[in-house]
Amino acid sequence: MRFPFRALVALIMLGFFTLAAWGAAVAPPVRIGVLAWQGLEEAEIRWSSLMNQLEERLAGRRIELRHFDLAGMAAALRAGELDFVVTNPGHYVFLEAENGVSRIATLVADASTDPAHVVGSAVVVLDERRDITALADLKGRTLAAVSADAFGGYQVMWAELRRLGLDPERGQPRPVLTGFPMSKVVEAVLNGDADAGVLRACLLERLEQEGALRPGQLRVLSPRAGMSPCRVSSRLYPGWAFAAAQPTSPALSRDVLVALLSLSPDAAGQSWSVPADYHPVHELLQELQIGPYAFLRETAWPSLWERYWPWVCGLVVMLLAWGAYTLHVEHLVQRRTRELTQAMEARQRLEAQVHEGQQQMDHLSRLSILGELSGTLAHELNQPLAAIGNYARSLLRRQDSGRLEPTALRQAAEEIASESERAAGVLGGIRAFARKRDRVREAHDPAALVREASRLFAGMLQGVPGVMFRQGDEVAGLQVWVDPLQVQQVLLNLFKNAWDAQQAVGCDLPIEVSLSRDGERCSVAVRDYGPGLPPELQARLFEAFFTTKPEGLGLGLSICKTIIEAHGGGIAAAAADPGPGLAIRFTLPLVDGAASVSRESS
Amino acid sequence: MTASPDMPMIHVVDDEAPFRRSLLFLLESVGWQAAGHESAEAFLAAAPAFPAAGGCIVLDIRMPRLSGLELQRRLLAAGSMFPVIFMTGHGDVELAVQAMKDGALDFLQKPFKDQLFLDAVERAVQVSVERHAAQRRQDEALEVLTRLSAREREVARLLALGLANKEVARLLGISDNTVHVHRQHVMDKTGTGSAADLARLILRADPEGLD
Repeated sequence: MRFPFRALVALIMLGFFTLAAWGAAVAPPVRIGVLAWQGLEEAEIRWSSLMNQLEERLAGRRIELRHFDLAGMAAALRAGELDFVVTNPGHYVFLEAENGVSRIATLVADASTDPAHVVGSAVVVLDERRDITALADLKGRTLAAVSADAFGGYQVMWAELRRLGLDPERGQPRPVLTGFPMSKVVEAVLNGDADAGVLRACLLERLEQEGALRPGQLRVLSPRAGMSPCRVSSRLYPGWAFAAAQPTSPALSRDVLVALLSLSPDAAGQSWSVPADYHPVHELLQELQIGPYAFLRETAWPSLWERYWPWVCGLVVMLLAWGAYTLHVEHLVQRRTRELTQAMEARQRLEAQVHEGQQQMDHLSRLSILGELSGTLAHELNQPLAAIGNYARSLLRRQDSGRLEPTALRQAAEEIASESERAAGVLGGIRAFARKRDRVREAHDPAALVREASRLFAGMLQGVPGVMFRQGDEVAGLQVWVDPLQVQQVLLNLFKNAWDAQQAVGCDLPIEVSLSRDGERCSVAVRDYGPGLPPELQARLFEAFFTTKPEGLGLGLSICKTIIEAHGGGIAAAAADPGPGLAIRFTLPLVDGAASVSRESS
Repeated sequence: MTASPDMPMIHVVDDEAPFRRSLLFLLESVGWQAAGHESAEAFLAAAPAFPAAGGCIVLDIRMPRLSGLELQRRLLAAGSMFPVIFMTGHGDVELAVQAMKDGALDFLQKPFKDQLFLDAVERAVQVSVERHAAQRRQDEALEVLTRLSAREREVARLLALGLANKEVARLLGISDNTVHVHRQHVMDKTGTGSAADLARLILRADPEGLD
């Protein structure tokens, strides 16, 4: 019986071990990553007992413990190399946001501790530093801390200082980073390398307990009464988190959680509790703009670029398009302005040319009138010259014959003088008439102009029938705004035409001129008793080169029209009433208010 | 200068007063008696009072209203013996030609030399004087002839034509003796001694009296 029993036992044992070995070989290890914030060795020491206990409680599932720094752990999670992570509250919040880990337990100091209020900081100074009594006194001092990444060792305190209006980032106080372990901070404060130091909550109590520090040697600034058994200068936050990676199965998570909660406190009195609310940690990190909220401080162009580049590109394209459009419009405006300026200059040049041309035409027309009258003008000059000659010869003859009497001498001399003046007057008139001149506008009595023209006409031509002048009462005292010489020119032209027309029928009635008022104008009519003109020719009378005279140029009346229109008046021909004959009527502007003023000022 | 009825008078008709006065002054310088008229009408109005001593008219061809040419025509029609000198302007050649055809003595184109003018006046006055002399002779011949009876005038005309007494008697149907008596009376009354003298007398009285 013994053999079969022993053999059976051996068989069973063999099977068990084989199964166990097989089972161990088949079930994959539980991969746990821990944050080695104080160095690999420290972490190994700290967490090895936990892992051993866990392994015991997980029915033989092997546990693979790996140590990471902050960035390394995130990278391993992304690579799917971890089932669980154990890390500080700040880092947990970061991983939760970035890698989707979810907490299953929170580390507490002992079983009675509220898991939401575990991690805090104490700022310590040498007790004899009486100049530093509160956190607010740290302004302008130095503050020792282990690392900028340490949650309880720096970030918690950083947030507290900010709430007081201090900012270690701006050197108020200036941080002195000592590196791990945290005892270096204590040393820095003790030997005066820093004015103050940040310690994790309860470290000071532990060091005093261990005898490393004399109680009272270091003083905690702005101690807060509350939930912590230790002296703290800050609020309290949840403790370290035990979190499952996203792919980890709920069953495994539950197994691990059960195992964790069943563990007894470790040597430091720490144990795992139900997961705490990490929202305050979120708020803290957000406030400090670190961890998952680091992007807040990175007004960082690259990240903004990554998020908004299509918008930015679109905006840039629109800006470019808008700029190009603006440039284009500006260019168009400039070009158009240039074109307008050129057009206006061209127009001004043209107007000047027209003005000059008109003056030349006026001048030519006056010359042509002079030409037509040249025979009689010669007569006009010859008469006084001949008279002068006669007197001079007579005087010589009388003297030669010794019959020169003083009275005769006086008579001759007086006649010579007056005749020479007359000749000079004729010449002066011709010169004034033929001279080129600028545009003139003056106020004149129209009746005086007509009389002057009549006088000139009678003086220039002999045997003319004379001019009969009639003037309505409403014209008395009116003044016209004209160039007197040009109006005279028009009148002389009309007189000459009238005379020619009357000569053609052998009529020697006087030419009739009448003045009347026509609204804001003065109307002048010149009427002859010639053969008249059929209506179809009356309209063409003022065309250039139209003439009814065999030797006529056909310019006289067209120039009259130009002159009258340049004065702002009109000219027209009509059958005389009663006939026979032709009446030519033209209008001249009356002196208005503005013209009167300029006349008075001149 | 007072007008002398024995001296020829130079009439200047020109509407151009200063020039007209200068011509008068010139004429008086060489001793002529001259009068100015400002128009043809003024001249005609003054003409009846002119002395018979003759003279000439210096006439501007162009004047208002009554022109120089027209005045000349009227003077001719009225039997004036005044020679006419026309003054013309430049370009009045056609008018001047017409004036000469109408019996003008001369024409001067303005402006003219004083000597030319005075020479023309001189000639015109001579013509005038000759015309006056001729007129006087005619008047005398007419006066002589008016002394004859109608029959005597008939006989005188035939004798002046050179007919013999017998031919005259036959033509008139009277006797030779009667013709002889008439002839004696004619010769006595006219103071002529021959038929030739008688012919000259008749022609003096009437240039066409022997046709």
